[in-house]
Amino acid sequence: MVGYVATEGPLHRAHPLTVLTFGATIAILAFVLRGPWGPVAVFAVALGAAFTERVPGVLKPAAVLALPFWIFLLVIHGLLRSDVATAVTLGARISAILVGFLVVLSAVPPSRLVEALVAKRVPFSAAFLLAATLQAVPRLRERAAAVLEAQRCRGLALRGSVIHRVRAIVPLTVPLVLGALGEVDERALALEARGAGAGRRTPLDPPRDGTMDHLVRWCCAALIVVAIVVRVA
Amino acid sequence: MSPRLLVLIPLAVGINLAMGQFASAISLPVYLDTVGTILVAALTGLVPALITGLLSQVVTTVVSGNSIWIAFLPVQLYVAAFAAVAARAGAFRGIWRTVGTGLLLGATAALLSWPIAYLAFGGVTATGVTAVTTVLTAIGFPLRWAVLAASASTDLLDKTATVLLVRGLLVALPRRTAARFPLAERALGRA
Repeated sequence: MVGYVATEGPLHRAHPLTVLTFGATIAILAFVLRGPWGPVAVFAVALGAAFTERVPGVLKPAAVLALPFWIFLLVIHGLLRSDVATAVTLGARISAILVGFLVVLSAVPPSRLVEALVAKRVPFSAAFLLAATLQAVPRLRERAAAVLEAQRCRGLALRGSVIHRVRAIVPLTVPLVLGALGEVDERALALEARGAGAGRRTPLDPPRDGTMDHLVRWCCAALIVVAIVVRVA
Repeated sequence: MSPRLLVLIPLAVGINLAMGQFASAISLPVYLDTVGTILVAALTGLVPALITGLLSQVVTTVVSGNSIWIAFLPVQLYVAAFAAVAARAGAFRGIWRTVGTGLLLGATAALLSWPIAYLAFGGVTATGVTAVTTVLTAIGFPLRWAVLAASASTDLLDKTATVLLVRGLLVALPRRTAARFPLAERALGRA
């Protein structure tokens, strides 16, 4: 389960920027705190967040993503270099970041994030680029799958020698890319007609950014500063 | 930012991510995940290419759920900057010139991704590259050189294939489309 999950939890109720700050704090602390116990503790916090947000489903993709890392870390650092502590440090760090990030994704719908950014006076073009890209990716992936199927139907062989397979890239890529470039003008005109770039826009339903959100964000920032100072001292 | 760029950049990011499907379909050790970035660099220049690179890495991270990718953001930005400068210098003029550009880009990108992979993740990143690192470490290579060799082998192949592919796309551009992107003619050495 990768993406927004409609459920109840403190992060789900928080302002999107607070949730992003939480994710960034997890990632920074996982790197700054000394191993192996520092990253292990951060990993425990990320796991706790997955349960308090009622999104234990994110643990499955996190495990799928983290498992190859753990295997290679234990082989390279544990087995070949007899350094299990480093393997655990790096593994816990990666797992903490993965779980923390998936929890953040589960708590913030992209449309809400765009509303929050527009309300914070982020330029419309930046907010639009983020939203349009998140919409364009699945569309282009579907089109890539369609091109792949169409070329297979026309007899394009995707197996065989390396040269054969390298040659197959061209008839796959050209229709995808030229098709995408062909729609640039039409879409640009549509955007222009809707007043893109005409100045500041007003969000219809901006997320509430309360005192608690401000407090949490400042606490996260303070925690990061303290961790860095302790690490450097 | 012009409406045309507002449309082109998301499409280029979509191309970067969709190319992964082709790479896995042909079972070659390449990612082709910078085709859109290099194409935007050749069509519109440095700043849009940098934005494409930034968005690509952020969206790859968001869509895959694998937050490790964001650590390699400097590599995407470097590829964007290199491609913009190379395109301005007419790097796509001929096949051999393009191959040289790809090899140079691959070698320098590997030098950039190597410290990120080694220092931040102990040499363990994506499965394919890490398998090469594991084999090299097992036969006695020091870890840091094993990571460099693994990064270089994949980056040289990937970036050369990507740059050649972008040259093919620039050559295949319909005249009507090419006329809207004057930098493309310059990248091919025609202007």
